Amino acid sequence: MAERSVVVGETSVAPTDIEGVISDELKDDTPGVSGEVMLVNTDSFDECNHDLDTQKVTTEEGEADEVVGEPQSPIRKVQREQDNDLVGNMGDMTVEDVVCKVEADNVPVIPQHNNDDDEDEDDVDEEYLQSVDWLQKEKHIFILSESGKPIYTRYGKEDRLVTLFGLMQALVSFVADSDDVIRCIVSGDHKFVFLVKSPLILVAVSHSMASIPQLFMQLTYVHNQIISVLTASALTRMFEKRRNYDFRHLLGGTERLLDNLLNMLDYHPSFLLGGVQCLPLATSIRETITQTIIQYCSKIKNLVFGLIICQNQLISLVRMKKFLLHPADLHLLFNLVNATESLKTSENWMPICLPKFDPNGYLYGHVSYLADDCEACLLLLSVDREQFFTLSEAKQKIVDRLRRHHCLEGINTAIRSSAYTVKAVGAPELRHFLYKSKTTAQFTCPQFTPPYDSDEEQRRVFGLYQLLHHRVHSAARPLKMIYLVMDTHTLLGWVTKDFELYAALEPLVTKQNAIVYINKLLRWIKNDENRLFILSSPTF
Amino acid sequence: MDAHIQHKGIMTGKVDMKVVMLGQMACGKTSLVERFMHNHFSSNYQTTIGAAFGARIMDVAGKKVCIGLWDTAGSERYEAMGRIYYRDAMAAVVCYDITQPDTLARAKFWVTELNKNEENCKLYLCGTKLDLVEKDKEARRVDFQDVTDYGKEVGAKVIETSSKTGENVEELFAQIVQDFAESNAAIMASLKDSFPLTEDDKPRRKCC
Repeated sequence: MAERSVVVGETSVAPTDIEGVISDELKDDTPGVSGEVMLVNTDSFDECNHDLDTQKVTTEEGEADEVVGEPQSPIRKVQREQDNDLVGNMGDMTVEDVVCKVEADNVPVIPQHNNDDDEDEDDVDEEYLQSVDWLQKEKHIFILSESGKPIYTRYGKEDRLVTLFGLMQALVSFVADSDDVIRCIVSGDHKFVFLVKSPLILVAVSHSMASIPQLFMQLTYVHNQIISVLTASALTRMFEKRRNYDFRHLLGGTERLLDNLLNMLDYHPSFLLGGVQCLPLATSIRETITQTIIQYCSKIKNLVFGLIICQNQLISLVRMKKFLLHPADLHLLFNLVNATESLKTSENWMPICLPKFDPNGYLYGHVSYLADDCEACLLLLSVDREQFFTLSEAKQKIVDRLRRHHCLEGINTAIRSSAYTVKAVGAPELRHFLYKSKTTAQFTCPQFTPPYDSDEEQRRVFGLYQLLHHRVHSAARPLKMIYLVMDTHTLLGWVTKDFELYAALEPLVTKQNAIVYINKLLRWIKNDENRLFILSSPTF
Repeated sequence: MDAHIQHKGIMTGKVDMKVVMLGQMACGKTSLVERFMHNHFSSNYQTTIGAAFGARIMDVAGKKVCIGLWDTAGSERYEAMGRIYYRDAMAAVVCYDITQPDTLARAKFWVTELNKNEENCKLYLCGTKLDLVEKDKEARRVDFQDVTDYGKEVGAKVIETSSKTGENVEELFAQIVQDFAESNAAIMASLKDSFPLTEDDKPRRKCC
């Protein structure tokens, strides 16, 4: 914790100083740059954050239209263009069906919590508020409806925090009375961040290193996760019809996704960087995998995305020509697979809403692991909800061909051995780094090695990355480069138009050596860029 | 039209018989399927998202019948999708938890829905978690006789199972294929003969 209080000798090097030296040598050999884009890329964190918040239809041609009502919906667009009788009105039906059917008042009861242990309704709030353990959690997340109904709490049981939720709702509506929106309250170490997205209110209470904009981004992710399960229009309509509706009925089973997402937000750099990590893989294997997906899927109408992922890393992504996938949507897919152990044993068919793709409708996902002996998961996302068996057949063919070409083994080997440590770079005083290629929205980082071998140390260095990230992207005073000398670390953050780099070095490294190491690192990444990144953008 | 071709619709694929599992969240559908498919029981609860599909071949009347089983999510937000899973199903296993009376109300909702929309779908009311009652008689909250009476009224067979111990699980599905074989002679005639002497009788995950 020393770093937090003792920021020793925070030297503001004139950016030109180091940058000049490095970029001279580097010229235009920037690692991981590609003109072929498959993921939506955002230039800055602010843009990304704003982008997360607003819905755009982003097409390959780069036209970004704000969605005004339904005609712009990408899902509908696909359905129209594919001109397939089978699809018909599937898209609109779903959302309305959900709302109307539930309205039909067959409202079944969610499995009840045991009522035995909270006889004293009045005391239960107190119980949590007096629990040191509960109070000291690093980051609380609460979700409630605009009318103050509890929906979710990260720790504890939401229905035992009724008065606390009431207080949050009161704060929000008090500020709303003066035609304003509450954003955050800072008190000592604690930040209280509010995201008001009718009909929901999301609140983060944190004393972690995450900055206010970062917490805001995290809440946006939580909101997107809910949209992904329900769709935005279903959520709004539900609430318009019954302001007092208990959303927990609809969200049943989603807690697991939220819990898992919140854990990932605490340690996984992909959210902070707004990028996606690829499983390092020989170009030839990746090419075979991609071609296989294309071979068996290109004739399937209505199929929008086909991708293979494992352990939160992307192996291959093939898309319908007109559409890009947003990293934020991809993160939700990672989270879905990551949080759902049961996908391993069966073939699954599920409605998935990708909020950045289309917040108002579902895609239907055929989700299954490639094989019992391969940990990678295949997702085929279509707008046609009756396509299960077509996709199931395609999956079988894909797996058969991958097996014939030894790609399953290739993937397995990569899963076991492709993670690298910072030693590979050959820069002795460099401890760890995050490198994001901005044009492709992909990033790479080494495994943690000592001194970051404990959970606590990893959390700490992640906190430092958050700090660097916050300083670099500070809205008031954005930086191109930051060089921080602390008593246990030297930190470097550097942002150019093509990349973002965050590095942790030994505390006693000289500035000159740091420059040498960073240059070396960039050259190393450049050398390996075809393995570390996906630089092409295959389509069906 | 030939019934065989007709029932092999877009959401039934190459299976001979489509079976759908319905019932309230957490009443034990996935556990039942897991016992039937993999002869395995896990006490970790995980909500099903959307639906999961699995197939297994069973021998009945000297024929091989490939059962395609749709394990649907119980959460009400998927209710609208229910229809695509039960359409053209030959049998529905409607589950309720015998220790939770409210799950029976939900089961009745599905029975009504199916009787209204799928005339050809045979209904099986399946009380789950029988092991809990065997441990502790007090745990039972749904009377078997009451459900049987209701079953007669709506034309559903009733069975109580335990996925934990496996009790009655094979029996349930054996009954389902048996009933299928009896009322679908035309389809049965078109199926491959089974050769019990040379076949291994392990459950198979995939048949198509």
